[in-house]
Amino acid sequence: MMTSTATLASGTPKKAIDSLMLRYLVLIGLIVIASVGFSIANENFYSLTNIGILLRSIAVLFLLAMGMTFIMLTGGIDLSIGSNVAFSGAVGVLTLVTTGSAALGFATSILAGMLIGGINGFFIGRLKLSPFMVSLATYALARGLALVLYDANSINVDNAAFLWLGGVSWGNMPVVIPFVALVFIALSVLLYQTPFGRDVYAAGANANTAFVLGRRPERTLVWVYVLSGALAGLSAIITVGRVSSGQPWAGLYLEFDAITAVILGGTSLFGGRGKLLGTILGVLLYGIIINGLVLTGTNPYLQSLIKGLILLGVVLLDTLTQKGKAA
Amino acid sequence: MPDVGRLLREKNIIFVTLALALVFYLISPRFLSLDNMSAISRQIVPIGLIALGQFFVVVSGNIDLSLGMGSVLWAIVLGVFFGLTGGVALGIVAVIAFSLMAGFFNGVMVSKLKLPAFIVTLSMLFVAQGLSGLIIPRGQQIFLMGGFFKFVGAEKFMGFYWSFLFLVALYLAAYIVYNHTRWGAYVIAIGNSEENARLAGIKVDRVKIGIFMFSALCSGFAGIILSSRMGFVQPGLDGNGLLLDGIAAIIIGGVLILGGRGTIGGAFWGLLFIGVINNALNLLNVEDVWHQVFKGTVILAALGANWVLWQSRQIEAQ
Repeated sequence: MMTSTATLASGTPKKAIDSLMLRYLVLIGLIVIASVGFSIANENFYSLTNIGILLRSIAVLFLLAMGMTFIMLTGGIDLSIGSNVAFSGAVGVLTLVTTGSAALGFATSILAGMLIGGINGFFIGRLKLSPFMVSLATYALARGLALVLYDANSINVDNAAFLWLGGVSWGNMPVVIPFVALVFIALSVLLYQTPFGRDVYAAGANANTAFVLGRRPERTLVWVYVLSGALAGLSAIITVGRVSSGQPWAGLYLEFDAITAVILGGTSLFGGRGKLLGTILGVLLYGIIINGLVLTGTNPYLQSLIKGLILLGVVLLDTLTQKGKAA
Repeated sequence: MPDVGRLLREKNIIFVTLALALVFYLISPRFLSLDNMSAISRQIVPIGLIALGQFFVVVSGNIDLSLGMGSVLWAIVLGVFFGLTGGVALGIVAVIAFSLMAGFFNGVMVSKLKLPAFIVTLSMLFVAQGLSGLIIPRGQQIFLMGGFFKFVGAEKFMGFYWSFLFLVALYLAAYIVYNHTRWGAYVIAIGNSEENARLAGIKVDRVKIGIFMFSALCSGFAGIILSSRMGFVQPGLDGNGLLLDGIAAIIIGGVLILGGRGTIGGAFWGLLFIGVINNALNLLNVEDVWHQVFKGTVILAALGANWVLWQSRQIEAQ
């Protein structure tokens, strides 16, 4: 596991690290409790097959939440990623259908995701407009473009190479899981071992100071949104592979799930504090809960209600406990 | 002598809206027919209510993402009460009471507990969506019939829909409150600098709670009018579309999204602009799938314009 605190520790008080470790332990405990609870409620929950299905169904959330972690570390937010999954998927699928080349499909999908991310980054980083306003606009724009490109219909995909990443399993292990692990390692190196990663923390902790120190936070911001867009493009490929078709309403509300998972994982809403490992644990816990709700046949509206209350509850709990510490 | 350049710059939304209306008229003369104008005036009422609530929230430097889905929930609350009692009085009281409570909750979360408004209201968006589907039996519609719904949804006074007149009256009242009362000045002060407002002795928390209660009440009104116009309620109505239209209206109307600046008149013109666009997209038979592309682009463009406006203000200030 990448818990390398060394590169980060210089600026972070020891207490904060301890509280993050404590949080991870609590999260792991909750993951165990939630799994046991749902396996009692539904005997299929703990089968190996279901663990494979569960991991595959939250693979996309892992990627998006990691991108969201970068953004939230800078103090921002990206409401457009769910729509972006649909849009970049549309671009990828249409490229695949017209050219027959899976490689081109992959490339255009990721580029399309980066394009939306670039728009976000430009408006948020360069023009310094508020992230939720800008990404709300691209949320509408990307979904609209997806609907236009698909002409509001889904497109079936049967290209084996294109479906490989999202659809194929080795035994009970979906290939997408080691892939997510690779992305996690790569992003951990990026965040903890490179100047860019330090800039991300610096931009969130205090953009003005970062600016004065010549760290160019505005440029960092553009790139974190582009990164998040690229991950949305990757997620689009996985989503298409999972269901063997491209769908205009893919990724609906995924931004909400990602935000909740990141906050659950202990990343501060105000930027500057948090880790990818926490996000992974957050996605696992959140994914188990959501998957459990689906498996036990919970009314989708009740699921919405529960999701809303989880987010509110976590944010509230964080604020209250932090206040208690400050006092 | 009026400064024409300044007028063009600051009131540009008026000229853009009028120019757009002219273009649509040239494409389709039906656009400026009396029937269509009055159709527009009715279409914009729910958006206008949400935009007005959002106006105060944004000027104070916050955002309320729950307004659209909230109004869907309030429409269904009204429908459920109508289904239970056969009357509207109790339903309307319930909508007003519950929406004020929801706004109070949002306000306390944001002011007393210092939670970011977008996270609180994003959670509330999902809570509202969930509740809207839970309080009404699955897959069911409730039909709303009777004098009240016909009155709110379809009746006119001197050629104007009552709902539109209500909207105009509310904007006028808001204009007075915003420009001529202390409370209005407090809202602006908080949007400019919460810290300074606090130092100046303004009870910031109380004003913020009031703002969120007002915006929630607006979404309650929007729900009542929305349900009356449709004549039925069901879960799964497009609340987020309303939210986007409302935000677009005020951004286009020149409200500074960083807070502290904006005029009610501008917001109203922004609303007309959105109304004209929505109507024209339908009238010109633009396919549904294009609507969102169009709106996303318009909001982005307006954000860009907002930035230019802000920059020019910065320069003026120096």
